[in-house]
Amino acid sequence: MKLVSKTLLLFVALLSSKNTLAQIKNSKTETVKIYGNCSMCKSRIEKAGSLKNTATVIWDKDSKKASLRYDGSKTNRDEILKRIALAGHDNEKFLAPDDVYAQLPECCLYNRELKLTSKSNVAAGVRREHSSQSEMKQNSQATIKSQQLNAVIESYFSVKDALVKSDANASMQKAIVLVKAIRAVEMTKLSAEEHTTWMKVRNELEQNAQRIAGSKDVAKQRTTFALLSENMYDLAKSSKQDKPIYYQHCPMYNNGKGAHWLSKESAVKNPYYGSKMMTCGSTKETLD
Amino acid sequence: MKLFKTVLTILLLYSQSLFAQTVMRYELYVKDTLVHYGGKGKKAIAVNGKIPMPTLTFTEGDTAEIVVHNQLKKSTSLHWHGVFLPNKEDGVPWLTQMPIKPGATFTYRFPIIQHGTHWYHSHSGLQEQIGMYGSFVIKKRTDDKTFRSGIDDLPTIPIILSEWTNLNPDNIHRMLHSANDWAAIRKNATQSYAEAIKDGHFKTKLTNEWKRMLAMDVSDVYYDKILINGNNSTDLKEVDGRQLKAGDKVRLRISNGGASSYFWLRYAGGKITVVANDGNDVEPVEVDRLIIAVSETYDIVVTIPDDGVAYEFLATTEDRTQSASYFVGNGIKQLISPLPRLKYFEGMKMMNDMMKMNGDLDDMGMKMSLNQMDMNVVMYPEITGEGKPKSNHGEHSMNMDNDPNRYNANALGNIVTLNYAMLKSPYNTSLPKEAPVKDFKFTLTGNMNRYVWSMDNRVLSETDKIPVKKGEVLRITIYNNSMMRHPMHLHGFDFRVINGKGEKSPLKNVLDIMPMETDTIEFLANEEGDWFFHCHILYHMMSGMNRVFAVGEYNNPYLPNKKQAYNALQRESNMPHFMAHNDFATNGNDGEAMFQNARLSLGTEWRLGYSAMHGYEVETHLGRYIGKMQWFMPFVGFDWRYRKMGIDEHETNLFGQKNEKDTRRAFSVGFMYTLPMLVNFQAEVYHDGIVRLSLMREDIPISKRLRAGFMINTDKEFMAELKFLVNKNFGIRTHYDSDMGLGLGLSLNY
Repeated sequence: MKLVSKTLLLFVALLSSKNTLAQIKNSKTETVKIYGNCSMCKSRIEKAGSLKNTATVIWDKDSKKASLRYDGSKTNRDEILKRIALAGHDNEKFLAPDDVYAQLPECCLYNRELKLTSKSNVAAGVRREHSSQSEMKQNSQATIKSQQLNAVIESYFSVKDALVKSDANASMQKAIVLVKAIRAVEMTKLSAEEHTTWMKVRNELEQNAQRIAGSKDVAKQRTTFALLSENMYDLAKSSKQDKPIYYQHCPMYNNGKGAHWLSKESAVKNPYYGSKMMTCGSTKETLD
Repeated sequence: MKLFKTVLTILLLYSQSLFAQTVMRYELYVKDTLVHYGGKGKKAIAVNGKIPMPTLTFTEGDTAEIVVHNQLKKSTSLHWHGVFLPNKEDGVPWLTQMPIKPGATFTYRFPIIQHGTHWYHSHSGLQEQIGMYGSFVIKKRTDDKTFRSGIDDLPTIPIILSEWTNLNPDNIHRMLHSANDWAAIRKNATQSYAEAIKDGHFKTKLTNEWKRMLAMDVSDVYYDKILINGNNSTDLKEVDGRQLKAGDKVRLRISNGGASSYFWLRYAGGKITVVANDGNDVEPVEVDRLIIAVSETYDIVVTIPDDGVAYEFLATTEDRTQSASYFVGNGIKQLISPLPRLKYFEGMKMMNDMMKMNGDLDDMGMKMSLNQMDMNVVMYPEITGEGKPKSNHGEHSMNMDNDPNRYNANALGNIVTLNYAMLKSPYNTSLPKEAPVKDFKFTLTGNMNRYVWSMDNRVLSETDKIPVKKGEVLRITIYNNSMMRHPMHLHGFDFRVINGKGEKSPLKNVLDIMPMETDTIEFLANEEGDWFFHCHILYHMMSGMNRVFAVGEYNNPYLPNKKQAYNALQRESNMPHFMAHNDFATNGNDGEAMFQNARLSLGTEWRLGYSAMHGYEVETHLGRYIGKMQWFMPFVGFDWRYRKMGIDEHETNLFGQKNEKDTRRAFSVGFMYTLPMLVNFQAEVYHDGIVRLSLMREDIPISKRLRAGFMINTDKEFMAELKFLVNKNFGIRTHYDSDMGLGLGLSLNY
C-alpha cells in the first residue's frame, strides 16, 4: 500500500516535470516581411505565429519585418506564415482570407500591396471586401460626378451587411469607415440635386454613423441604423447609381412600427433581425 | 453474291478491329509499410509503394484487368466503388469471393460499361483506414454523344480525400464500443457540466442526460491529419504540362476515401460548379460550398481569377478540427478563412427537442429529405452567428422557433450550400415502365451508448439475405431514426434519387441521409448476384449496419459453400470487443473487464482489498440487451466474496436478510435498466434467497477531464469516486468505499 502511494507521487512528479523544459531545440532563424500597421498588429502577429516549444515570432512595426525562431524538426517557415496569414496579415507566402482582413480593427487595415487589384471578369462569383480607401482611390479617376457619394453608399452597405450577420463588432468598424467617407465628401464636386440633399442630411448622417461607430450593442446599433437608413434613402434617391438599389422594409421591427434599409441585392436579408428572421421583409421601391 | 459476302466479311473484320477491346492491365502489389504522417513511424498499407493506391484510369469500352499481389501477412480484397460488373468481381470477401490469402495473387477482370469518377478500396477489415484507397477514373469515349464541351474537355485531376490516425484502427473500433471518450477530449468536444455552466447551458446538459443521451458529436473519431492525394498541402501549378493562369478552369474529380469523415469543400477563388456526382453527369450547378459524404464522388469546376496567386481549395472535416489544402494556380497563396468550431451546446439543445423519452426521433412535422434542411445549422457560427442568440421576446411577436426555414442554410444567409434537391440529370433516367416494382422500407437505427448500428434494429447477423427477382425494380424508402447521418451505399448499381426532378432524377450510388430524413431511391435489379447495401462509415459497417440483396439465382464459382460464406460475413460485422480497467489504489484494486458484442455482454467486476479484513469480491454477469435502445439487460450472474470482520459491520441488508458466512459463493438472476440521468438500476436475486438492488453511475462528465461516479445498494454499501483522465489509457482516481475506506490510485484502462 505504501509502495503504491510512493509510486503514485513519483509518477505525478514526473508528469509535471515534462512541461518545465520549454526550450526550442534545433533552432533555425529567419527574417521575413509581414504586413501590419500598429502595436495591435504586433501582438496579433506574434500570438498567431508563436507556438509553445516550437516557434517564436517577434515583429517590428516600423520595419515590418519579423524574426522567426523555430525548431526545424517540428515545423517550418510556411506553417508559421500560414498561421499569421490566417490571423489577417499578408506575407510573402500567404494572403490573408478576405473576410478575416476585413474584420481587423480600422487602424490595422494595412495596404494590401501583395493582393493584385486587377478585376478579372472571368470570376463571376468572386467576392472581395474593399477597404473604403482603395475604393475611393479607384473612384477618384472617374468623371461621373455621382462617384463622390459612392464611397458613402458602399460603406453604408458594409454596415448593413454586418448587421445582417448580427456582428456588432464589424458594424462598429464599418461605421467608422462610413464616418470617414462622409467627412471626405467634397460638396463642391456633387451634382446640383445631390448637393441639396447632402446639405439636408449630412449632419444627421454623420451623427447616426458616429453613434453606431461608438456602440458595441447590436440592438442599439440597429435602432440608430433605422434612422441612418432614412438619411441614406434620401441620398440614394438624389444620386444616380449605375446599379439598382433596393429600398426594403421590415414591418415587425420597433414594436410593429417597421423600419427600412437599402440593399444592393433584391433578395431580402434582414439587418434588424439577422438570422433570427432573415427573410422577413419586402422590397418597397427600386432605385436606379 | 459471292462478292457481297466477301465485302461483308472484310467489313466485319475491319469493324472488329475498330472496336477491339483495349485491355487495361494494372499490377498492384499490396505491402505493409511505415508512414510518418503524425511524426512517429506508424504501420500502414501501401500499394506499389504508394499511399493512396495508384489512380487507375480507363476509357469506357476498355476491359479492366487488375492483378492483385497480396504481400501482406493478412488477407485482403479490392472493391470497385460504383462500378457495374459481374458479381464475382465486386471484391467483397465472403460475399462475392473468398478473401485473397496472404501471398496469393488474384485477378479481377471485367468490361468497363460506364464512365465517370469512381474510386476503389479494400473491403477487408479496417484496411481502408490505413492506406488502401485510390481513384478509379473512367473517361468518356471520344465519340460519346453526351460529351459536354467546356466541361468534359477541361484540364482535370483526380483527388482523393482521406484521414490519418496514429492509433491502430482496431483500437479505435474497440474504444468506440467501450464509449471511451478520449476522442472527444482531443477534439475539445466533451460537453461536460462545467463547460455547460460556462456557456449558460446547464439546463440543456441536464435535459440531455435526463433523456439518457451521451454527449454527441458529428463524428466519433479523432484524426491526426487529413490528406488530399496523400498530402496535407499540395501545390497545383500545372495540369497536363500546361501552367495554370488567370481565367483557367480546372476540373477536380473528388472522391471521399475517408473511413468516417464528411468534408466541407470550399474555394478561396470564388464559386464552385458541380458537374457530376457519384460518376454521373449532372446539370452544372453553382454553389459556395458543398459537403461530401463518406465514399461519395463529386466532379467540380473551379476558376482561377487572377495571375500571380494560387487559390486555396480547402477540405475541412465536418467537426471542423482538421483540414487539408490544394493550392490551385501559380504565385502567392490566397487562403480561405477556416470554418469556425461547432456550437456544441446549441446542437445538444436541438437534439433534446428532437428526441423523445423512448429514444424515437420527433421531426415536429418538418418532413425532411434530401439534405435540404440541416438541423446541425444551429451549430454553424458561419450561418447562425456566434454565441447564444439572446431571447428578445419583447421585441416582436413572431416566434422563429416555428419558422420552417430555420434549418434551411440557404435561406438563413448568403452562403449557398449544395443539397440533393439541386441535382438534376442531363438526360432521362426513367426505369422501364413494364418492370414489376417491389417496395422496401428501411429504418436506420442506432445506439450511441453501446455503438450498435443497425437497420430496422437488426444487424446483419440477425437477418438473412433479401431475395430479389432479376429484372425487378426495387423502390426503397429509407427513414433515419438515429441521431447521426449515414451514407448508404449500394454495390453494383446506380439508383435514381427521387428528388422532384421527374424524369431527370439524378443517379447516385451513395445516399447521405440525415437524422429524421426520409428519402426514396429506385433501381432496376438487372445483374444477378449478392449485392451489399450498407452504411459506408467503416465503423458502422463493422458494427452491423448492412444488408444483402440476393438478385436472381447466382452461382458464384469462387464461393462453393455460400451459406458458410454468409455466416462468416455476418460474424465479421458482429465481432466481440474487449475492454478492461483497473484502479491500483491505496485501499485496494477496483476493476472491470468486459467482452461484448451487439447484443451480449459478459462482464466481471472486482473489488479486492489488501487484507482479509477489507475483503475481496468478484462478480460476473452474462447478459443480453433487449430493445431498440438497449436500456434493458436481463442477466445471470455469479458472485464470490470473502471477508473477515470488515470496517463496515453491516451484515444485514435493507431487507433484513443476513449473511453470516465469511465466504460466499452464489448464483444470481437479475436485470439491469438504464434510468434517466444514465443511472444504472440493477436488481438481482441470489440462489440463497438474498435480494440486492443497486443504483450506480460512472463517468459523470464534471469537466473536460474530470469524471465522477457513485454506487449505492441495499447491502448498505456505498461508493463515490472522482477520476482525472490523463490520457486514453490511464487516469488518477480517488474513491471512498464503505467496505474499504478512502483511497487514491492509478487507474489503467484498455
